[in-house]
Amino acid sequence: MNALPAALVPAMPHLLAGDPTSSWAELATATRTVGDRLRAAGVETVLLLSTHWFTVLGHQVQCDDRLRGRRTDENWYRYDYGHLAYDVTVDTELAHRWADAIDADGMQARRTRYDGFPVDTGTVVASQLLDPRGQGRWAMVSCNLYADPSAMAAVAAAGMRAAGQLGRRLGVVAVTGLSSGLTGRWIDPGEDRVEDTHDRWNRKMLDAIRAGDREAVLAMSPQYAAAAQADSQFRAFAFLDGAGAVDRPGEVLAYGPVWGTGAAVVWWGEPTESRET
Amino acid sequence: MSRVFHLPAGSTRSGARRAAASPSGPGPAAAPGPGPRRGGIVAGYLAPHPPHLVYAENPPQNEPRSTGGWEVLRWGYEELRRRLRAHRPDVLVVHAPHWITMVGHHVNCVPNPRGVSVEPIFPHLFRYHYDFRTDVELAEAVVEEGERAGLVTSALREEGVRVDYATIGALHLANPDWDLPVVSLSANNNPYYYSDASLGEMETLGAATRRAIERTGRRAVLLASNSLSHMHWDTEPDLPEDMAAEHPFSHEQYAGDMELLQIVREGPTSRLKDAIPRHIGATASETKAGSLTWLLAAMGWPEVAGDVLAYGTVIATGNAVVEWVAP
Ligand SMILES: [Fe+2]
Repeated sequence: MNALPAALVPAMPHLLAGDPTSSWAELATATRTVGDRLRAAGVETVLLLSTHWFTVLGHQVQCDDRLRGRRTDENWYRYDYGHLAYDVTVDTELAHRWADAIDADGMQARRTRYDGFPVDTGTVVASQLLDPRGQGRWAMVSCNLYADPSAMAAVAAAGMRAAGQLGRRLGVVAVTGLSSGLTGRWIDPGEDRVEDTHDRWNRKMLDAIRAGDREAVLAMSPQYAAAAQADSQFRAFAFLDGAGAVDRPGEVLAYGPVWGTGAAVVWWGEPTESRET
Repeated sequence: MSRVFHLPAGSTRSGARRAAASPSGPGPAAAPGPGPRRGGIVAGYLAPHPPHLVYAENPPQNEPRSTGGWEVLRWGYEELRRRLRAHRPDVLVVHAPHWITMVGHHVNCVPNPRGVSVEPIFPHLFRYHYDFRTDVELAEAVVEEGERAGLVTSALREEGVRVDYATIGALHLANPDWDLPVVSLSANNNPYYYSDASLGEMETLGAATRRAIERTGRRAVLLASNSLSHMHWDTEPDLPEDMAAEHPFSHEQYAGDMELLQIVREGPTSRLKDAIPRHIGATASETKAGSLTWLLAAMGWPEVAGDVLAYGTVIATGNAVVEWVAP
């Protein structure tokens, strides 16, 4: 594969439920498929942005070589998927290069290496589904919500440059929700649905992604953020764009609700490969 | 170039002076005397939680070391600590915006939360070893009263949920000895990417909190762990406590905070029902998480003025330490 393999995957822990509803199960299966494809593409390290690792000062790059622990989610603790174990290996050589590249571009990198650092739920969920055997390596950056969304594109570009210097075979993944209209009560999973306005917006954005129309997606993002409370103003797409990953049609592997929010799995592979529906 | 804007730290004397100068206004209520202890809510504090204030103090519980900084706000907290002691509470009840719960209002019912809270946003400033006692009976009563009032609630009984820096920050800054039991409430919203709190629901939660306190006969002090104006920098100086870099984000943000604090100082608190949403609209105030509305609703929007003990900025956000004494 010559094109940069890339994906957008959900952040919510419901994908790891022992007894998932059909939407959660489809999203989980599609995320596992993305993991299979990343391995098939020979990816050595995944450049990862999780919007649920949100920060406000500079761009934090995870520099701990191994993140191991348990996470009890502060909202979902009453469910099995609120209790997550993780064991993630970080490509620290790339992480440090990435931080250097961020600094070199006039932004502020924060090298993050602290015992007991609370890895966010999105990173835990995505890493478990994409890499169930824990054999992959990751380079992770936080999502600065106070910087302009376009800053995430510059951060991704810096990561690509750093990976190029090291000759890494790279994949790029953004962990994010779509619309954020969370259902504010305890529901039976079977009642899970995305409200109509948000659903229309999600589908409109996914249609533009399917068409490979990155300019339309970027142009619509502010409106999408306002109309559908898009997760982190859809900074995830800006990140993928900065990596040069979305200049071709994306393959939507799954779309559905997670507790009222919109979630999708999108894959960007070789531009000429045959597409599933 | 940059200037640090601070109001002078307040004191019991300055509060008394203000009350004397405006005999027609409500004025801050008097501090408690040595008489018999009554139950109920005896005082409430706006107790902002920037981790910088804990970092600047260098307490033994926090791993990072600093050379100081943000002194005027910390002096305000020293005064708060003296006043809080004088109120002789049984329990501190705190509402904090960084225990973000997407579904409902949660109350920590774990008897002895303990661990290390490494703050994901400010890990270089805040790695705090906490170990405190929960007033479980009161915590459960808040859950029950909330439910009875029609709110979505949850009692957290799982050990291992990391306590957030807004809860720890307010509690440490108000009572660094941690010798009082605590009831900790979550913020049912996400100021970053979901939505603001419903201030109407915070009124309901406040009233439920008050009923729970009265039902259990506790003598309680409330802490609203909120900053004010909330636009801030997206980078920081190499030395985080470099006060040459500390100033309001903009004149508008500063002026918005002063407008709110003027109303706080004049009282009565009922004027804040309109002023708080207006202030949120003007300054993206962190009170959008609802802690301040919860506090004043729990106190029954008392006919008193607040006493502003200090004001200062932290990475450009506005922060005020304020006391309201129940009449
Ligand atoms: Fe805060």
